Amino acid sequence: MKKFWACFFIFWPILAVVLCLMAPSQQWWFPPTHGLDIRETATGDELREQLAQASYVAGTPLGQQIDDLFYLINWIVTAVFIGTQAALGYVLWKGATHSEDKKARFTHGSHNLEVIWTVIPAVILLFIAGYQMNVWAHYRIIDSFPDEAKEYPVAEVTARQFEWRIRYPAPGSKLQLEPQPDDLYTVNDLHVPVGRPVMIQLRTADVQHSFFAPELRVKQDAVPGLVIPVWFEIIEGGQYSLLCAELCGWGHYKMKARIVAQPQARFDEYLVQLQTEQNDDGVPDEVEDESARE
Amino acid sequence: MSQARRGVNVKTAEGENARANGVREYLHENFGTPMELVAWLRLPVDYGGHAGVVAAHDSAGPLQQMKVSFTSAVDGFERPAEIVWMSGEQAGKIIAISGYDAKSGEIGFSGPLEAAPAEGTEFIIHPGQGLTDGRRLYMTHCVHCHGTSGDGDGPTAKYLNPKPRDYRRGVFKFTSTKEPNKVTRDDLKRIVRHGIPGTYMPSFMLLEDDELHAIVEYVRWLAMRGEFERKLNAELSGDYSIEALRQRKKGGELEGEIKDELKQFLASDFPEAADSAANDLADAWNGAEQDDAIIVPAVARVDDTLQSRAIGRHWFLSKEVNCQNCHGPHGLGNGPQTEDYEEDPLTKQKLSEPGLHDDWGHIVKPRNLTRGIYRGGRRPIDIFRRVYAGIKGAKMPAFGRKIKPPAETQVDNLAQWQDEQIWHIVNYVLSLPFEGRSSAGGGSAEVVDLN
Repeated sequence: MKKFWACFFIFWPILAVVLCLMAPSQQWWFPPTHGLDIRETATGDELREQLAQASYVAGTPLGQQIDDLFYLINWIVTAVFIGTQAALGYVLWKGATHSEDKKARFTHGSHNLEVIWTVIPAVILLFIAGYQMNVWAHYRIIDSFPDEAKEYPVAEVTARQFEWRIRYPAPGSKLQLEPQPDDLYTVNDLHVPVGRPVMIQLRTADVQHSFFAPELRVKQDAVPGLVIPVWFEIIEGGQYSLLCAELCGWGHYKMKARIVAQPQARFDEYLVQLQTEQNDDGVPDEVEDESARE
Repeated sequence: MSQARRGVNVKTAEGENARANGVREYLHENFGTPMELVAWLRLPVDYGGHAGVVAAHDSAGPLQQMKVSFTSAVDGFERPAEIVWMSGEQAGKIIAISGYDAKSGEIGFSGPLEAAPAEGTEFIIHPGQGLTDGRRLYMTHCVHCHGTSGDGDGPTAKYLNPKPRDYRRGVFKFTSTKEPNKVTRDDLKRIVRHGIPGTYMPSFMLLEDDELHAIVEYVRWLAMRGEFERKLNAELSGDYSIEALRQRKKGGELEGEIKDELKQFLASDFPEAADSAANDLADAWNGAEQDDAIIVPAVARVDDTLQSRAIGRHWFLSKEVNCQNCHGPHGLGNGPQTEDYEEDPLTKQKLSEPGLHDDWGHIVKPRNLTRGIYRGGRRPIDIFRRVYAGIKGAKMPAFGRKIKPPAETQVDNLAQWQDEQIWHIVNYVLSLPFEGRSSAGGGSAEVVDLN
């Protein structure tokens, strides 16, 4: 029975390591970044094929740095995990196969050992804390945001139960804190220029929400009463998902939107098109031309 | 006709209401249940599927393939498909087909066909597919607020204010159509796609066009079902409601007599009434899709000048248009009418609570126009149509073609002049959120002299 329990406790860490190693090949890993067309009508085979061909690299440079940090920490944790579990397994197995005749020996602490296992984790933690500082600052501290992004926020994104309302400044204007008469509005459809840092102003109209773009590795809570700047630089044009990552009510799951990254020229065109749509006075253009001639 | 597996029966024109006698039976016969839908072809609903006709052929006996032509291009059918004959001797009969070869234009039957339908026989493959798609999407996205029957009373409805729309009156608030007309498919699509800001109706922007279409058709179908039920009820309630029964018994009539009379009525006049109710429904919903139902302003939007806003403000406060009566002199939605006690439309008694009530019996608040939240859309044409046709089912009246020019004003083209006045109102309303703010183009409209 002792051996059974030793094996039992050795088995689970081994399973955990095996599952982790399998995960990337089974798509139990990061969300696919590009080229997915997940429709309710897509069949399982279609989805599997798309998943196998998809890219899992983060869609933003900062996201890639975050992934690098993740992998670094992952490897450190893996080494520690395997080391401690191997030691635990060794001790368990030794205890299980220990002869009944021999008496157990009691020791009270080892000063040297305690110093070692305090100093080593402390050094590792300090290293991680120092190593990630730049990425963190770049991501969250407005002073280290790229100037390009800070200067001209693309849009204001207001989370509300249960959708994302988006307000762009009119082409050629700068986004103001207060709504302007010529602002442009959309919902659940955030267009941004690709290949350059862009910033949005995040706020919420009601409860707490969270702006989460998994493929871009961007996640920021929207807090009532605050306007929170969020920046990202999308490397490749295309569609990315925007989700709410804070349980905000019964319709939380409905807060699905898309981020469309497009070249600057196309983005400018998009704003002009929005402007035309928004100024629609319902009179067909030909009629309007005629009345202008009169 | 029964086809429980897929859950859609197709009801052709023949054999209308053979078994039905009461309201419930009529509904069941013509609309089915959510589990077993009936596609009643008399109603202007796009039930989906692929329509076509049988091409010329010489064989009368058993045949395995048959040449057909489709109304719109079809590549083939991935899944096992069914075909329903819509005309000819076998109308209403459903059989399985094994596939369609786009090159030869032939459909293959799963078993040999004993009697071949004549040339020109109409058919639909995958009958009612649109309705089942609509049902699936509706049950995923809409049902928890709007309810299974579209009564606006799903499980989450009791937590919401304003209440989710009850479709069963066939009335939808924000339409691009004139006052008496119903909502168009495009209006509903727009609402589902963009949501209604200021309410709990969220945007379903990420649904594909065909998915939106299926949802909208299902919602229209539910609305028609509810309306049909109301119409049939109205037909009976005058003489045979519990209240009417009580009154008649008081008047000396015997219950047995009244019951016999009801049976007589259900057997003779009621089918006719149901028939005309269906006709009215079809006409009304078809009417909304006609070009002349849509509000198109007679003139383009008047330039948004301070002068124009001042005229708009003049109408806003005027006796004739009197926006301020509900929306308040500053557009805050707190006009004197909101403090008034309305009459119950049935009992003619004053209600116990003050405020405006909509057709559904809920209190409606006039919009606070300074908030910049426009439920029916923020485009100038949206606001124009709100003023022109009102908000259906709510207390916002229609002002289209109703504003009279003052006696001293010479007007050549009345329609144009009237629409110009609405544009002035639109310009004023759209300026309200920015009134008094320096960024709003130089200041408040009040400082401009009308003359």
